[in-house]
Amino acid sequence: MSDSLNFLDPKVLAGLHNLELRARVVVEGFLAGLHKSPHRGFSVEFNDYRHYQRGDDMRHVDWRLYARSGKLYIKQYEDETNVRCMILLDTSASMAYTSGGMSKLDYGITLASALAYFIARQRDAVGLITFDDEIREYLPAKTRQLHLMRILRALSRVQAGQKTDVVKPLTDLASSLKKKSMVILISDMLDDEERIINTLTNLRAMGNDIITFHIMDDAELNFPFNEASEFIDIENNESYITSPAAIRKAYLTNINEFLAYCKKQCQTSGIDYCLMNTREPLDQALSSYITKRSKSF
Amino acid sequence: MVFLTPIFLTGLLAALIPIAIHLIRREKPPKLMFSTIRFLKKTSKKLILFQHIQQWLLLLLRSVVIILLVLAFARPLVDQSVARLLDANPKSVVIMLDDSMSMRYGTSFEEAKAAALQIIDDLAAGDEVALIKFSTAAGVVRELTTDLDSVRSLINGLDQAGYGATRYMPNLRLADQLLETSRFDNRSVYLISDFQQIAMQGTEEGWKLAPGVAFIGIDVGAESSSNLALTDVRSPQQLLEDAAEQQILIRVRSTGTLYLDSGEITLRIDGQVIDRAPVDLTDRSEEVISFDVTFDTQGTHVGEVRVTGDSFDADNSYFFTVDVLPKIRVLLVNGEASDDWFDDEGYWFGLALSSAAESPFVLEHIEPAALSAASLRQNDVAVLLNVGNLNSSQADAITAYVQSGGSLLLAPGDRVDSEVFNRQFASITPALLQDPGLLSRDDYLVIADFDRRHPILRPLSSDWSARFQGHWSLLPDAAADVLMQFDNAEAALVERAVGDGKVILFASTLDLEWNNLALQGLFLPFVHETLRHLVQSETQQRAYQVGDSFSLDPSGRSDSVTAIGADGTALAFNNDSFVITATRPGLISVTVDDLELSYAVNILPEESNFARTAVASLYDAIINPDTNPNQSSEVRTAQLIEELERPQRLWWWILSLVMLLLLVEAVIANRTYR
Repeated sequence: MSDSLNFLDPKVLAGLHNLELRARVVVEGFLAGLHKSPHRGFSVEFNDYRHYQRGDDMRHVDWRLYARSGKLYIKQYEDETNVRCMILLDTSASMAYTSGGMSKLDYGITLASALAYFIARQRDAVGLITFDDEIREYLPAKTRQLHLMRILRALSRVQAGQKTDVVKPLTDLASSLKKKSMVILISDMLDDEERIINTLTNLRAMGNDIITFHIMDDAELNFPFNEASEFIDIENNESYITSPAAIRKAYLTNINEFLAYCKKQCQTSGIDYCLMNTREPLDQALSSYITKRSKSF
Repeated sequence: MVFLTPIFLTGLLAALIPIAIHLIRREKPPKLMFSTIRFLKKTSKKLILFQHIQQWLLLLLRSVVIILLVLAFARPLVDQSVARLLDANPKSVVIMLDDSMSMRYGTSFEEAKAAALQIIDDLAAGDEVALIKFSTAAGVVRELTTDLDSVRSLINGLDQAGYGATRYMPNLRLADQLLETSRFDNRSVYLISDFQQIAMQGTEEGWKLAPGVAFIGIDVGAESSSNLALTDVRSPQQLLEDAAEQQILIRVRSTGTLYLDSGEITLRIDGQVIDRAPVDLTDRSEEVISFDVTFDTQGTHVGEVRVTGDSFDADNSYFFTVDVLPKIRVLLVNGEASDDWFDDEGYWFGLALSSAAESPFVLEHIEPAALSAASLRQNDVAVLLNVGNLNSSQADAITAYVQSGGSLLLAPGDRVDSEVFNRQFASITPALLQDPGLLSRDDYLVIADFDRRHPILRPLSSDWSARFQGHWSLLPDAAADVLMQFDNAEAALVERAVGDGKVILFASTLDLEWNNLALQGLFLPFVHETLRHLVQSETQQRAYQVGDSFSLDPSGRSDSVTAIGADGTALAFNNDSFVITATRPGLISVTVDDLELSYAVNILPEESNFARTAVASLYDAIINPDTNPNQSSEVRTAQLIEELERPQRLWWWILSLVMLLLLVEAVIANRTYR
């Protein structure tokens, strides 16, 4: 299992430029480690038959029909699943930050693609919204394999944008969601966290399940700087000259208060919250999703 | 503040390093892109301010540490005078200020003071100066000091010159000794004087100043001078009552550079002008003037000889005292009286006392039977010549007489029974008689040795050629002094103090029966001095010169002494020994218990001689051929550094402070960046 988990290491994944391959490695590696996962397989509604095509899973062959007709038919399932999952990826400038290795945005893209791949593999509908201060890409939730590829291509095109405004896409999403859905927010939440949490709370109140992946760089969490420097805000180019050693303690206090606030508010509002360090493997994210998925459905 | 190794001060630039680093880093801090600075900006402003203060404090500490290290290496000194010492050429100067009587001439002493003050004014702070005010000996001495103002005040406080004579050499030696303690190698002796020729005494001995000691002579003597000096005055010191007319001799000489050929001499006795005489030096360089004076009353007479007619008054008077004493009453008890002068035991003795025209003695001649206590009391001294048949009461009377202060001279001969003599005079005799020694006709004894310091024999140190064929062998008393011995080592003259009186025993006769002493030239003075000694105390010196120290108490046993000096003020002296040092000429009136005495103090006559010498002569005589006063400043500075820094060692304290600051810096830096 440890060998498989190595493929979930962000450092390894960073070397995989093909996003589909990266997502597959993450998901397959993750599933390989599950073994007897209680969440394996789930019922979907039968819709029609079609002829067997090479490459189809033999488990879906209707053997009874084969016995009667002597032909291989594959059970065709309903396109629309009862799980509709929208992945919201924050592509603001702050997400482009990295202290080395994979940036938060890359980490988020990898996570989003892995989740999309995984969700699609489960025959659930998955959609994608990328945003910074505006929605940059919107792909509605669908179950088709082709849609997954569309999502992956969209993710591969993602570039870091401008300022963050999480509330606006969430508000837009809330108005567009017709059915109960699962909303996965991948963001560093470096915006007005109170408004973000409130918006998420509203979404949650509408019956949606929400998972928040809070992506943070290791440097943001531990502030390992020593040399006095001019820190420049990536989003607004505002600068601040300070001696990190002098303010480290105060900074860590502030950032921990921020994280604690986010976690507490999410938990209070029934929102799954998962803090992700870009140096940590991605399986935690997938595990969180599966846990949430199994509880909800 | 001065630095002994100032080259290290360039290291102060290193103190700019922390500042420069601070400024450079402040201007160009590395830019670091960060996701957001909202959490940085939320850090406490107080914290930021405190951190800034800590950083500035660290910056300050680091700069101060560097500065202090640089200062420590530069070895600072705080003495301002030291700074000037290093910059200047520090000197050690001894100023010798002539205070002799000749400096009273004109304005010499004022000029000397001005010259001394000018020397001090020319010195720099930190220089050392010593002062010697001198004449015969050093008067005021101030050892080397950097306190120039105190020496300046000392000089300003000098009133006028004294009355001593000038002696360069002992005072130059003193100056040289003072300079041995000098801290500096630039050493000088300044001699401010009128450069009298007589002051050069002793320069011929070859003594030189120490090598390196410079000599500068400053001549403040008058270009020309005119003076009549009393170079010598002879006067009687002690006379007996009814003595003959005395002659007072006065020697006068013109001693200035300008010749004076006339003047006047005045003689005063007891304040009264006795006589005057003109001084005429037109055809001679010196004139001797005599005054005939009769001292016809007992007691002490004071006299003054004064010369007038010149412009220098200090040496114009000579003072003297004359003590007129009563005649000595002598009771001669003749043990072998005879009408034949040749056989008369007392003939020669009486002849000795009455030979002078004005004999100081009053002689009473009696035979032993007439001797009584009353006859003894009427005389100052009793003389027993070959008296051997005294009864016990007479012997007791003699004993009592001596005990009460009378004096006795014993000259036993063949009529004396030793056993009786020893018994009767056992308590007073200086020696017991043992055996009479009578030698053969061709044999004799001579005086082989005598006490040359005894008052009797001191003036009789010439040839003792008397021959003694008869004498008594004496056994001297333990309390007696043997004054004279025969060549057989037996005592010839023995003295013993008994009670308040004195007894002298002569071991032979004072006629020609046992010796020929009476025929010798020494016989008369021997008799006179013996009687004087028995009656009078030793003549006390009453005339001294300026600079002499002497006791005002002639007996040495007085309890109370008061003295009035020549200037009319009471003299201060040691109450144990009553010793004073004469500082000015004149008469000193002294009361010793109830006794009134006078002492005469005069100047040294040679000080009146204004003949002068060249400064160069003294320079050549005393300057050391190895003297090279010039010394490099490098050598001087190196010596000063070691000597002056030793008591300070400021850099030790600075380094200790640096260590402390580094500790503080470590603590603050640790708190700041951890």
